[in-house]
Amino acid sequence: MIGRRPVTLTVNGQRHERSVEPRLLLSDFLRHDLDLTGTHVGCEHGVCGACTVLLDGHAVRSCLLFAVQADGRAVDTVEGLARDGSLHPLQAAFNEAHALQCGFCTPGILMTLVPFLHEHPRPSEHEIRETLSGHLCRCTGYAQIVEAVRRAASAGGDAAR
Amino acid sequence: MTGAAGWIGRSVPRTEDLRLLTGRALFVDDVHLPGLLHVAFLRSDHAHARLRGLDVSAARRRPGVVAVYTAADLGDYWRTGPVLVQPVPVPGVVFHAATQAPLVRDKVRHCGEPLAMVVAESRYVAEDALADMVADLEPLPAVVDLEAALAPGAPLVHESLGTNLAAHAVQRKGDYDAARAAADLVVSRRFRYDRGAAAAIENRGIVASWDPKSEELVVWDTTQAPIPIRNGLAQFLGLRESQVRVIAPFIGGGFGPKIMMYYPEELLLPWASLQLGRPIKWIEDRQENFYATTQERLQIHDAELAVTRDGKILGVRDRFLHDTGAYDPYGLTIPINSQCTLLGLYDVPSYESEFTVVFTNRPIVTPVRGAGRQHGVFVMERLLDFAARGLGLDPVEIRRRNLLPPEAFPHNHQILFQDSAPLVYDSGDYAPLLERAVEMIDYERFKREEQPRARREGRRLGVGLVSYVEGTGIGPYEGARVTVQPSGGVRVVTGVGTQGQGHFTTFAQIVADVLGVDVGGIEVITGDTREFAWGTGTFASRGIVVAGTACHEAALRVRSKAVALAAELLGPGAQDLVFDGGRVSVRGSPDRSIPLAELARRANPLRGAVRPGTEPGLEATAYFGPDRGSTASGIHAMIVEVDPEAAMVAIRRYVVVHDCGRVINPQIVEGQIQGGVAHGIGNAFYEQLVWDENGQLLNASLMDYLLPTALDVPTVEMAHRETPSPLNPLGVKGVGEAGAIPTGAAFAQAVEDALDDPGLEILEIPLSPNRLFELMQAGKGADA
Amino acid sequence: MIVEGTYSFTGRPQAVWDLLLDPTVIAKSMPGTKELVRTAPDRYQGKMQVTVGPITAAEFAVEIALSDLEPPQRFVMTIDGTGRFGFTRGRARVDLQPENGGTRMAYHADLQVGGKIASVGQRLLDMVSRALLRSGLQALSRELEERLAQDGRTEEAG
Repeated sequence: MIGRRPVTLTVNGQRHERSVEPRLLLSDFLRHDLDLTGTHVGCEHGVCGACTVLLDGHAVRSCLLFAVQADGRAVDTVEGLARDGSLHPLQAAFNEAHALQCGFCTPGILMTLVPFLHEHPRPSEHEIRETLSGHLCRCTGYAQIVEAVRRAASAGGDAAR
Repeated sequence: MTGAAGWIGRSVPRTEDLRLLTGRALFVDDVHLPGLLHVAFLRSDHAHARLRGLDVSAARRRPGVVAVYTAADLGDYWRTGPVLVQPVPVPGVVFHAATQAPLVRDKVRHCGEPLAMVVAESRYVAEDALADMVADLEPLPAVVDLEAALAPGAPLVHESLGTNLAAHAVQRKGDYDAARAAADLVVSRRFRYDRGAAAAIENRGIVASWDPKSEELVVWDTTQAPIPIRNGLAQFLGLRESQVRVIAPFIGGGFGPKIMMYYPEELLLPWASLQLGRPIKWIEDRQENFYATTQERLQIHDAELAVTRDGKILGVRDRFLHDTGAYDPYGLTIPINSQCTLLGLYDVPSYESEFTVVFTNRPIVTPVRGAGRQHGVFVMERLLDFAARGLGLDPVEIRRRNLLPPEAFPHNHQILFQDSAPLVYDSGDYAPLLERAVEMIDYERFKREEQPRARREGRRLGVGLVSYVEGTGIGPYEGARVTVQPSGGVRVVTGVGTQGQGHFTTFAQIVADVLGVDVGGIEVITGDTREFAWGTGTFASRGIVVAGTACHEAALRVRSKAVALAAELLGPGAQDLVFDGGRVSVRGSPDRSIPLAELARRANPLRGAVRPGTEPGLEATAYFGPDRGSTASGIHAMIVEVDPEAAMVAIRRYVVVHDCGRVINPQIVEGQIQGGVAHGIGNAFYEQLVWDENGQLLNASLMDYLLPTALDVPTVEMAHRETPSPLNPLGVKGVGEAGAIPTGAAFAQAVEDALDDPGLEILEIPLSPNRLFELMQAGKGADA
Repeated sequence: MIVEGTYSFTGRPQAVWDLLLDPTVIAKSMPGTKELVRTAPDRYQGKMQVTVGPITAAEFAVEIALSDLEPPQRFVMTIDGTGRFGFTRGRARVDLQPENGGTRMAYHADLQVGGKIASVGQRLLDMVSRALLRSGLQALSRELEERLAQDGRTEEAG
């Protein structure tokens, strides 16, 4: 039988200690053990990007990681973006530009864009599309997402937080 | 402050976005219940096989497994499902119904059919248990090729039918033989149009929870049709409808397959919950989705077009085969759509269309965004292109010469549409759409200057311009209930579900204009049978037309109640009332006004008497059932560049000029078109489900089934025109599928134009760089 | 899926024939074979474990039947393998011809692959099957040489 292992990780700034099977995916751990259901699962083989979260600040596919691999590390999910009741500039821009329809792929895209805008505060359209190409969206056709990123970038400083 | 007519036509940001953006929107897999158990399905690896035996004893003994069910365990519940859509009553139609049972008992008919269901403490343990089961399957030769399936001696998908012919229908108008005889040119070709998976990013899922104490069943389901699911479940399980509640919460994309009803899992989960008295959950994984969720597929057309030397259409004849997969629960919807949509924007005096639907050993085919319209558009648009070439006409010109003129409406095509009513175009004005598209893509200048210049530089640019007509907004009906709360907020409830179309906002806009309240003060509830239980669902681009109109009608009734009450309260002369800013006032005397909230309170008195015939509250329910659908239309134009060595195609520009009647929220309409075009581009160039001769799907993952990314889909340039529909008070038409319909035809025309090789004809979709390369090589061979 | 090719062994056709029909040798040589037992004169049963791309250690129960035997020149083999990740079924023809004092083996197999292995491992099937075959044939070759060397020593001794 597979024994359980202890994991301690910080998620959105909050520390969690749990005991998990080594084969438990990080996506399942976040969604079902911690009830942070904002991160979604679309393919479980790392292609669609819906499960993207930040691991120590880097965008990763949580469906391709085991929870035990996040032991001792910091994870950020979509639930941590809005602060004190106000939306992150990216979230506000997505709403203004109608960059989401069903919203299922959106949290993953937001999490990829957070470090992206930090590193590229004034991205070109091509750079935006290239970064987005790691995410599949079946509803929007991407144009309005590109527009939202452009708006968030030109909103300035705050967007890169 | 809002203007009384201020909301419709505005790009109001969506009210539902806040929850979706902050990760607080409930999707089916987000449902957590105490004691929740998890399900996995053992599915057949063979496409066609006899199930000789199934040993699940080891699985039952595995720790953590609560139950394993096979067909034998279902007892009387093992039965085949209903036909969901009765075959359209085309005279002489032949239809052999064959529907699926929830678990395979005797014979497997497609890869992925479920053999057994495991219920366990976790999905991980349930999947472990799948490895414990031993299925004794005796493989049979698979039926895969449409023509071979109809040949004598072909293996039979359904032995009891004695044939693989699922259906046959012919629709005619005019006299095609006479048209052909009178024609100056007849072009005929064989076309293959292959569709693919809907591939919504959220796969299907169900949570079923039977409470043995209250004897109530609650089901969360990624369905586009919660009300029929509830009704069907109640009947299947022998419960009263009031004992069953089906909730379609936020759904991560529908696109058609989520309206397919009574999937095996949809029946088995609730049934098992009743057996166990515990809540259980099944979430489809991506690989299962390729087998267990319906999709669209191949049609093969042998079609011909008869024209005069001036390019006027005299008639069309089309004979085609349609693959329905292993079962045909959805009737004739898709092939009838193909048949009807072929006629397009054109005046077609004579038409003869015959189709044969074929059973094969592949997953079931039911509508996916476009629902067969793509196939019809491809055939007609390509025939026109070949006729134009044969006559020395420009492809745009030949279309110009055949458009239905504006005085031709309503135009009855005399054949039957998917809603069993005659195909009648309600309104449209096509020439301006065409000319606007020609202008936006700068067609003349492109052909005259840009294209030749590029050629001289060794670059292959090409332009494609195609048209489509889309029947939308069909019945049977939808309903809505509008309630003004004593707080002043307004509640709108309707039965359709929402999968991203923005109903929460657009329905609110409609009601906001009628009642003069702010959109932000309107709460819209969709997809919960406990809230509203009459209706069918979201499909066929009908949400705004049918449910939106029902909301409108209900709001109007609330308004007249408010008028009656306000007139009493505001005193004599209070006839001409204005609804604005949440208040009802006498026009010209703003001081004589009363808040809508106050009216709502007064409408529900605790004491006193009410006049006979009064209904309490400011609430009303209304239904809308159009007797036929309204017709949207559009033109797509694209400029592509083809790399002649790598056969890669880059889209340089994409233009859509469309008419979906009155636009409620421009930004949302643009989103639907942009998304639809992306879907169309995927189908035209990247997506193909590849089956081998044994019915095995060779690319059941997103690694190998390629969905277009942000690098593959350009920003679509759009123009709207509005010819309001006379069939509903708002004048709206549907738009959900429009973007996806003509893309394949545009692709083919543009790529042919870029390569300018008379030996190269594109008669199939999808292309793909490999296939295009092959065609380019063959074209050169034919030339030489 | 067609798998075909040729391979040259040192050793005469009869020696190669004896080798190919010896289940203990095959079990040792074919990579991933956990077990292979002769259950009847021309029938074998066994277990194999194979990695195809993302599917690690896919386990198969295999049944092999030999037919059309014309020793030491040719035989036909039917294979039926079923596992959790899919199945494979097919027929292979094996021809042995003397060549330069040794044997030239020609094989031609027509295999049907289904289930998960076929639907996610498609692009690797070709490569994997060739790699398995190459490993297997090399191991068989070494086994044959050892046997021949041993026989040589036995002859010398005897």
